[in-house]
Amino acid sequence: MPESIIKRYYDELGQGKLSARKCNKCGAYTFPPTTACEHCGSFDQQWEELSGKGSLLFVSHGIAPPPNPRFDEMAPYAYGHIILEEGVTVEAIVKDVEPTPENLQALFESAPLDVEADPVNVKGLNVLAFKIV
Amino acid sequence: MSGELKDKVSIIGVGCSRFGDLLATPELVGLSLQELAAGAVQEAMEDAGVDASEIGAVYVGNAMAHSSQLPGTYSQLSKWIGMQFKAGVHFEAQCSTTNVGAAMAAMAIASGVYDKVLVVGFESTLTKPKELSPYERERISSEQSWMWTDYAVNQAYSVPQGYDIFSVYNGLVAQGYCRKYGYSIEEFDHAMFELCRTRRLHGSMNPKAAVQETLEDEAKRLGYDDPYEFWTSKQNPFVAWPSRIRSLVTACDGASAMVLSRADTANNAPNAPVQLRGFGISQGDLPWYAKDPTLWPSDRIAFQEAYAMSGIQPEDVDYLHCHDCSHISSICAAEQSGYLPAGQGLSYAEQGRLRYDGDRPMSTHGGRHAFGHAWAASAGSDTYEAVKQMRSAAGKRQIHPAPRVSMIHTHGYAMISTVLVLERG
Repeated sequence: MPESIIKRYYDELGQGKLSARKCNKCGAYTFPPTTACEHCGSFDQQWEELSGKGSLLFVSHGIAPPPNPRFDEMAPYAYGHIILEEGVTVEAIVKDVEPTPENLQALFESAPLDVEADPVNVKGLNVLAFKIV
Repeated sequence: MSGELKDKVSIIGVGCSRFGDLLATPELVGLSLQELAAGAVQEAMEDAGVDASEIGAVYVGNAMAHSSQLPGTYSQLSKWIGMQFKAGVHFEAQCSTTNVGAAMAAMAIASGVYDKVLVVGFESTLTKPKELSPYERERISSEQSWMWTDYAVNQAYSVPQGYDIFSVYNGLVAQGYCRKYGYSIEEFDHAMFELCRTRRLHGSMNPKAAVQETLEDEAKRLGYDDPYEFWTSKQNPFVAWPSRIRSLVTACDGASAMVLSRADTANNAPNAPVQLRGFGISQGDLPWYAKDPTLWPSDRIAFQEAYAMSGIQPEDVDYLHCHDCSHISSICAAEQSGYLPAGQGLSYAEQGRLRYDGDRPMSTHGGRHAFGHAWAASAGSDTYEAVKQMRSAAGKRQIHPAPRVSMIHTHGYAMISTVLVLERG
């Protein structure tokens, strides 16, 4: 039975793992993983786990109610722009930040901030999220 | 890849509906989508001075089938726009649709297959058919419309994990711009106010704009003598801090159309043809930018390709439209195009230099906030405005002197960066 890359990503996220694909041709990471390298287009890749540690550069928020009903109970939530240790750019939910203008202004002034992945289960789906450490 | 059009191609006719609400805007109320699209086509065909027998192919764009409920759009529309038995296709490039259609038409014409091609785009972002009625429509909520719109966005990972256009397209880009160029959030907010004033001024001078009320008049209507006090009030909340709701898109219903032709037969057209000198198209999936939110690789490539194909330089551009669903992202794109100097876009906005009567005019139809945004129709509305400006036919908002070279940039979700270069003959 073929293995779905998407399913494996979400399953492993539930175990706290950030599963990426590393290209055997150009050496770059594709995260989240896809069938081809997002940098050079090669299909020759291998699985690799990312550290989950990174730097939060900016954090804003979305709207409420949200377009995606999965997030009805969470919205509005903080949403951040993050560079992982491996150089991968990620945009994801930032936990434990009430997205008021005052809080976001304070984070803007103190960024960059160290963050680490802390996935959250939202209505049955494991979702990538980060917490400030 | 030659990266060039082997033959010259011109836009000889343009049409555009008023943008607005099929349930409320006087010019639109009661129209079906077929009739909405037909109105734009009729205007474009009359503007071009051609009849249906001269059209070789028809490219029809509609992005959100959930609200149109008209798949097979090209064939469903054919009788309504007088194009039965023509070759064609339904296509979409989301909010770049109509200008990607212009590029497709240019390639078909330059290859020698067709002499003339009709491009059509239409959309309803506010309504859907009511209980399978052939003519009655009903309101859809904003969340519903965005959920359907977001079907065009990375459905494997981004949308399921909390992606939200407002943060990614507005708030994060705004903070990136402020950090990079040393603007305070307060300075950013005031520049966004001035940019909104400009867009709303343009909309107030355009009878086809969705929002024709100036920001100052809206402030007064809502009880504020000082428009900036209104800007910073709860009437204008943060949608994605530090971006406020009036720096964003106004979702609409609307339609646009254009007729493209071999340039060597275009001079028979009753209104001045505009040559499509070149185009650039590039797509970038999320994240649209890396460490620096002001620099988008897909925009860089699209602008480079458009400059290379058209053989012009940034200093040749007299009028620029950048996709301005998000006002700060449009400033970043304008800077990336070279039309505005890097880091000075907010200052230019603050000084009114982006107005129709400024030295770097942009989005003179009102842009996505004032003219409004009807996804697959909007790029055509931008081209419509550029053609009218180049023909000195833009009325009260006319740029003086009329632009010789125009550049039109659009973002098609998510994200199809598209750039057209037009030149007056």
